[in-house]
Amino acid sequence: METVIEIRGLTKTYGTVKALDGLTLSIPRGGVYGILGPNGAGKSTLFRTLLGLIRPTEGEATVMGGRIGDPAATRRMGSMIETPRFPPFMTARQVLVWLGHAHGGVATADIEAWLKRVGLTEAADRRVRGFSVGMLQRLGVAAALMTKPDLVILDEPTSGMDPPGIQEMRALIRSLADDDGVTVILASHQLQEVERVCDRVAIFNKGKVITEGRVSDLTASGERLRLSVTPLAKAMAVLGDRATLDGDVLVANVPRTEAAATIRALVEAGVDIEEASWIGADLEDVFMSETGWTGVQGTPAKGTDHAG
Amino acid sequence: MLVDALKSEAYRISRNRTAIFCSVLLTPLLIIVGGLIYLLMTKAKGDALAAKANLPVELGNQPVNLAEAFGFAAGNGANGVLLVFMLLAAAAVYAGDYRWETWRLISARNGRPWLLLGKIGVMKALAMIAMLTTLVAAFIYFISQALVTGRPMSFDLTDFKLVEFLLTWLLSYIRIVQYGLIALLAAVVSRSLLAALFVPWALGFVQTILGGPLMPILGWSPADWASQLLMPGLAYDTLKAAVSPGPMPLPDGVVAKAITSLVLWCVVPVAASTAWFQRQDLSKE
Repeated sequence: METVIEIRGLTKTYGTVKALDGLTLSIPRGGVYGILGPNGAGKSTLFRTLLGLIRPTEGEATVMGGRIGDPAATRRMGSMIETPRFPPFMTARQVLVWLGHAHGGVATADIEAWLKRVGLTEAADRRVRGFSVGMLQRLGVAAALMTKPDLVILDEPTSGMDPPGIQEMRALIRSLADDDGVTVILASHQLQEVERVCDRVAIFNKGKVITEGRVSDLTASGERLRLSVTPLAKAMAVLGDRATLDGDVLVANVPRTEAAATIRALVEAGVDIEEASWIGADLEDVFMSETGWTGVQGTPAKGTDHAG
Repeated sequence: MLVDALKSEAYRISRNRTAIFCSVLLTPLLIIVGGLIYLLMTKAKGDALAAKANLPVELGNQPVNLAEAFGFAAGNGANGVLLVFMLLAAAAVYAGDYRWETWRLISARNGRPWLLLGKIGVMKALAMIAMLTTLVAAFIYFISQALVTGRPMSFDLTDFKLVEFLLTWLLSYIRIVQYGLIALLAAVVSRSLLAALFVPWALGFVQTILGGPLMPILGWSPADWASQLLMPGLAYDTLKAAVSPGPMPLPDGVVAKAITSLVLWCVVPVAASTAWFQRQDLSKE
């Protein structure tokens, strides 16, 4: 598998806090790669490190074949880290011209095309000091993409956008990967967005990768068998801790390969099965399960000892 | 790579109207307006005195030599007002990326030393433009002098000393650039626009105190190494005096000390800023 990013044992420490803790990860070329994690999981620190903005305490990484901080490599990347900021006295068009100069020049036609593509043509000559967060995000995306990079890092690109803007952004991200052959790394708290857009994801927690893989594989591994049975108590006894109750329906946490054996065991125990179906897990379930997150602030996360 | 850094920095500062106005236009405007006010007041006073004493008009009728504008501009190129206003542009150029959180946008596109050198190059260009606009203002002042007083104009280069003019111009230019380089070091170390603005200003103020009332108290002499090295302003004055010698000869060896001081005050801020910037965490703009 050809990779665009290879990270081995990357650690970044701020005082006593480990923002990245021996992180190891390979990101394949092509497609959209999602990076998920609760706040403070180390996503932004990783991006900043890959862009050469900060130096790792330990470990190493290569980006597009070059060591991190190597301008020859980072010039092939586009990035938008958190809400972008720009010199307030410049207009949107001037911002792109300025960044184009910094990159060795970008054709005026390309700048105009990107202004149009992110929906800023009408606001192109307005000073950015008056821009909303959503408009700044759009301009940040244009700035990241106008140089035709091979790799793009987008950190929360839909933050502050209205629903149509979010849809447009999703379509844009997919088209970058599908039509332009760009590798997109996307960090987002919008798990549905990641599930719809990404091909692979890595879930971070406490500076480590706790799970990684194709979205379809991760969600498939979280599938559960939903059974309407009588008597319920007997079925619960057969399945033990693999079963939970959802109202008066039994939910069995068994893989597809064990489904037939599970049903046979229930029937042999004298349980009537009225209905059986699969409940698909979504990325949110996987995320909750892997990070131990319940949505309650301060809930301790799952142990981090399966870091990759 | 340096070309990209220069182009982008030049483009950005060219869009910063406040910085451009303060650094390049404000001092010449003050020279013209202040000069006109001075000329009009002097003329009014002179006319009154002449009328009272019944003096012939021809007494004040020597031509105004416009060529003197060269000497005026070169000698006053690094005046205190210009230095203060140039600091506004220096702060915007050197500390702007910290202030506007834009390092993350440009640092991935170029090597860090090139980015700093690009900024220094743009400030050097601004310093030269500011001196040229000061020269234009000086010409306007001399023309105004002729118009206000009714004296004829001339352009007489008989007494013009080209080498003296060029050296004085160069010294003033180095002085402006050097002030900006102190702003660069302050900006990189502090990540603060205000520090870039006020540290060089404060340094200038301290030099004024050290070089004035405090020098005899400390037992320093202007010819000492310590005085020359600690006070780049004194080194600049020393070299100006060496270029345009007055009646008092300069002490032996003081010129070498002054040159050393000016060079160090240019090289050390650049080297220190580059070394610091190379290791700096740019995510905390």
